[in-house]
Amino acid sequence: MRRLAEPNAYPPTLLEGLAERRLQGSLFGEADAIGYAPSRVYDEMVNGQGSLRPHWQTFMGSLVPLDREAMAEKWDEALRLLRQNGVTYNIYGDPQGIERLWPLDMIPLLIPPDEWRTIEAGVVQRATLLNQILADLYGPQTMIRSGRMPASLLHTDPGFRRCCHGIKVPGNTFLHFCAVDLARGPDGSWWVLADRTETPSGSGYALENRAVIGRILTDSFRHCQVERLSGFFSAFRDTLLGLAPRAAQPRVVLLTPGPYNETYFEHVYLARSMQMTLVEGEDLTVRDRRVYLKTLGGLEPVDVILRRLNDDFCDPLELRADSSLGVAGLLQAVRAGTVAVANAVGSGLLESMSFKAFLPTLCRHFLGEELKLPSVASWWCGQEGELGYVIDHLDRLVIKPAHRGLSLEPIFGADLSGAARLELAQELRRNPWDYVGQEQIALSTAPVWQDGKLQPRPLVLRVFVCHTPDGYRVMPGGLTRVSNEPGRLVVSMQRGGGAKDTWVLVPRRDESSPVLRSAPPGEIPRFEPRPADQQAPRPDLPSRVADGLFWLGRYGERIEGTVRLLRAVHSRITDGSHPGAADELAPLFRLMVWLAMVPQDVANLGDGIASRATRTALRAAVFDLDHPNSLRANAQRLHRAAHSVRDRLALDMWRVVRQIDRLSQPPRRLDAAGMLLLLDDVVTSLAALSGLEQESMTRGPGWRFLDIGRRVERALHMAALVRGTQLAEADGRDERVLTPTLEVLLELGESVLTYRRHHFAAPQRAPVLDLLLVEPTNPRSLCFQLNILSEQLAALPDAPGHGGSGREPANAARSIVGAARDNLRQVDLLRAGPPLSAALHHLVATLPEVSNLLAHAYFSHAFARSA
Amino acid sequence: MRYRTRHVTRYDYGEEVPVSHHLVHLAPRSHPRQRCRKGTVSVEGKAAARADYADYFGNPTTYFALQEPHRGVVITAEIEVEVAPPPLFAPAATPPWERLRAEARALAGGEDEDGIGQYAFDSVLVEASRDLAEYALPSFPGDRPIGLALAELTLRIHRDFTFDPTATTTTTPLAEVLKKRRGVCQDFAHLGVGCLRSLGLPARYVSGYLRTLPPPGKPRLIGADMSHAWFSGWCGDDTWVDLCPTNGRLVDTDFITVGWGRDYDDVCPVRGVILGGARHTLKVSVDVEAVDA
Repeated sequence: MRRLAEPNAYPPTLLEGLAERRLQGSLFGEADAIGYAPSRVYDEMVNGQGSLRPHWQTFMGSLVPLDREAMAEKWDEALRLLRQNGVTYNIYGDPQGIERLWPLDMIPLLIPPDEWRTIEAGVVQRATLLNQILADLYGPQTMIRSGRMPASLLHTDPGFRRCCHGIKVPGNTFLHFCAVDLARGPDGSWWVLADRTETPSGSGYALENRAVIGRILTDSFRHCQVERLSGFFSAFRDTLLGLAPRAAQPRVVLLTPGPYNETYFEHVYLARSMQMTLVEGEDLTVRDRRVYLKTLGGLEPVDVILRRLNDDFCDPLELRADSSLGVAGLLQAVRAGTVAVANAVGSGLLESMSFKAFLPTLCRHFLGEELKLPSVASWWCGQEGELGYVIDHLDRLVIKPAHRGLSLEPIFGADLSGAARLELAQELRRNPWDYVGQEQIALSTAPVWQDGKLQPRPLVLRVFVCHTPDGYRVMPGGLTRVSNEPGRLVVSMQRGGGAKDTWVLVPRRDESSPVLRSAPPGEIPRFEPRPADQQAPRPDLPSRVADGLFWLGRYGERIEGTVRLLRAVHSRITDGSHPGAADELAPLFRLMVWLAMVPQDVANLGDGIASRATRTALRAAVFDLDHPNSLRANAQRLHRAAHSVRDRLALDMWRVVRQIDRLSQPPRRLDAAGMLLLLDDVVTSLAALSGLEQESMTRGPGWRFLDIGRRVERALHMAALVRGTQLAEADGRDERVLTPTLEVLLELGESVLTYRRHHFAAPQRAPVLDLLLVEPTNPRSLCFQLNILSEQLAALPDAPGHGGSGREPANAARSIVGAARDNLRQVDLLRAGPPLSAALHHLVATLPEVSNLLAHAYFSHAFARSA
Repeated sequence: MRYRTRHVTRYDYGEEVPVSHHLVHLAPRSHPRQRCRKGTVSVEGKAAARADYADYFGNPTTYFALQEPHRGVVITAEIEVEVAPPPLFAPAATPPWERLRAEARALAGGEDEDGIGQYAFDSVLVEASRDLAEYALPSFPGDRPIGLALAELTLRIHRDFTFDPTATTTTTPLAEVLKKRRGVCQDFAHLGVGCLRSLGLPARYVSGYLRTLPPPGKPRLIGADMSHAWFSGWCGDDTWVDLCPTNGRLVDTDFITVGWGRDYDDVCPVRGVILGGARHTLKVSVDVEAVDA
């Protein structure tokens, strides 16, 4: 084993293979040997002569021969891991649905240690500088007063949040976590394309890339010695805890815009890894100029907010008034110093392109040194000389918006006709402040594995840096993004690019002490447990999450009721020989009408089961999204409810929910048998879902709310079934009608076997109703649901904000449940008539109130909102 | 002149809400012609949280929150100010407007302790446009002293535009006001600001009150006054001239300044966020009373 870690000790196969090719007279060296042909730009893996760069040799040695099948296997493994870990990102306005699998490439980007040291030093310097600039602009504004930066740059940039000026932030630190996008120019040096100072994304994906690639390229990872990522996040978490104004048990939350954000996966992932509560704006409230988290146990103070909300969405009182994502009064709390926000609100300002041109001067001024990592040469047109230069060189510059308040695609001057260039020059003169001219930079390429071979693709490297008490610290790795088109100069995940793991290689030590790193190759970031005296805050259950879980339970159960009914109908249509099939269809259709799944006229079918109208109606009841009670509509509601609480669900549960969502999407062609199979699959998935609820969820308040949702829905459904068959109202019906109705009811109530165990004859009305409504040992019976409900309600925590009377809402809900149960038990089932139908009617009328009571007491914190 | 004003804002939320947050610009700022003797903002009921501070433009700002369930809020601002007459305005003696434009640009590039330069650029509600520049230009021939140009522009807005409270709301874009030729004082103030900005000149939006005189022989009606707004044009150095296009006049001792900014959004009298609530209604009453010194 030792041998493997020694320098240049890659397996013999490559050397032999390469040597063989060389002996056979290949003139092109290694790159040609593996069929990789980069164009004339700088390539990360091969040099101008077509030879592998030294730092790629160990890696490629571990990978060759690049056997298509072996690579395909690894790729399948990667996809499996990505799916299993739920690594997704959202494309805005994507008709294909909100989640896409993360497009990871198998080949990491390798960066040699000496080069990394340069990048690291440059990024640390840059973060330090940007932080100082923010502190100045939101404070004394000396650089404006001294004329080092034009005042108009600040005045014309909507990213400068005037309401944030003068706010004191802890340690005068504005940037706690930022990122720098780097590109490598043709001369091999790195240039800064963009600074991400507001809510930089990608670090969580970088961790996940490592987890996946580390596992599928185990050998390569072991042979190359790669810097670990996990220490970086522990340090960042310590930084966040250190920001807390209260020393004891500070509560840190990660504020997300919610599941529809592009990088929601990452928010969930980071919150989990760093043990923070993931919250949305509506989970927080400001009282007495202090931020609180609305939890099931009441309002809990929040000390530190790591935000993934952009500046203008943070506080509708002082920033964008139409934002519902933020927290009203947040800036007042920040002003009062009761909460720390990372990054400081307003820090998005420095993402503006206009600042780039001033960084060299400001670096000398603030830090007394030269800028180590240059920005791509930029000229802000707001100054006369610069404007002139840009206009004179339009043919070789890219024109970009000066700040992010402008929606403007980059204009490549070279692509413009003479007339268009003149027009552009005029526009630049009219609104010079809005534009930046920038040198065009050719991106370097790195190999991606595509179509069974290595192909060069342009890349941009995002490097992350966080603040620590000892200054800024860089994550030894990063997120490499590649363009999906060989010649494309814009790299963006929103436009279908891909991602790569980034391996920063460890410096080779003295050869006598080879470094054998002990961590497993499939490195998954783990954090050391903290000493007891500074425990990370316990994860709270936000009220919104309890609400989401409650609805997850309700929709899960609602789909179950829907799909059982659909399956009962379809199985009889498909298999006409099923004994009693024809007779049983009549009550089934009546029930579908009663539950508003098909229109009334479809139920009066006579012999037209196979009629076009019936088939259309039945198909709509399964797949029509606009049909309020269809399987599809309910599956989508389930998916939404689950999505909103995704960070609280086991991965398996989330996967089952997605499967149900997928199954309910209309397939292109489906025959009757296929439909039945599909419905069977949904039933199976639902069983998996309820199984996971029962077997893999901690018995905390979250689970209780989920279970309460399920029980309420199941009780209501059972009551609806019995009412829909009119069994409660009349007795002594024709047996030819009664028997099939009872059969159907037993089937829908999942109680056929139970019934048969006790009764051998054809089903009778009273025992069937007894089994479905009253029997306390039948887990499908109505009373069974009411009993569980009563227990669950009794076990709920006290409702917040009720002072000493926190038990009142749960008790009120319990008495509704108790009354419904007493009513049912008192009915003499042998005698049909008003008492039973009244009891059921009463239950259907009162049970939804349980929902309202809980919503009011626990979910909304008395916030006026209908349940 | 000495004034006492009382500005009462009454929100009814239609139903009980648990929390409401408010940001208020109702206390007056002092400036060379105005001395503020009193400026209290009070809230009916129990405002549990409160903070008073000056905003980026130097305007007194009050934040408060109601944190017990409530159905509405009543905010009362009581102020007492002394307003001195403006110095004699000699419009012909002011610098030519193009020179000020150049100076404003230079300011934006260098020293500008008072932040004058920022008023030359777009803000949320007032963006420079070719249409605004075209409307303004007839009053700005070459070499004309800024004072004369401002006075003429003010009179033209007064003449060309009809005061019509039904024509616009607080969200009507300026371009639409320009097209409709109708609006209220806030629109006309924005118009003045927009015209100057479109020519590259700094201009401020000023919010305040105007003393109204009852018709002859009638008593003064208490609470019948309104908030008012006008604009202010930069005339070089630290000179700003305030003009009221709504009434086509120079701002004098009949005007009480509360605050200024780039547009209404910067000095909106009451801005609030409530959690919950149904349709809310708003009633404002303003009373401006001249006090004999």
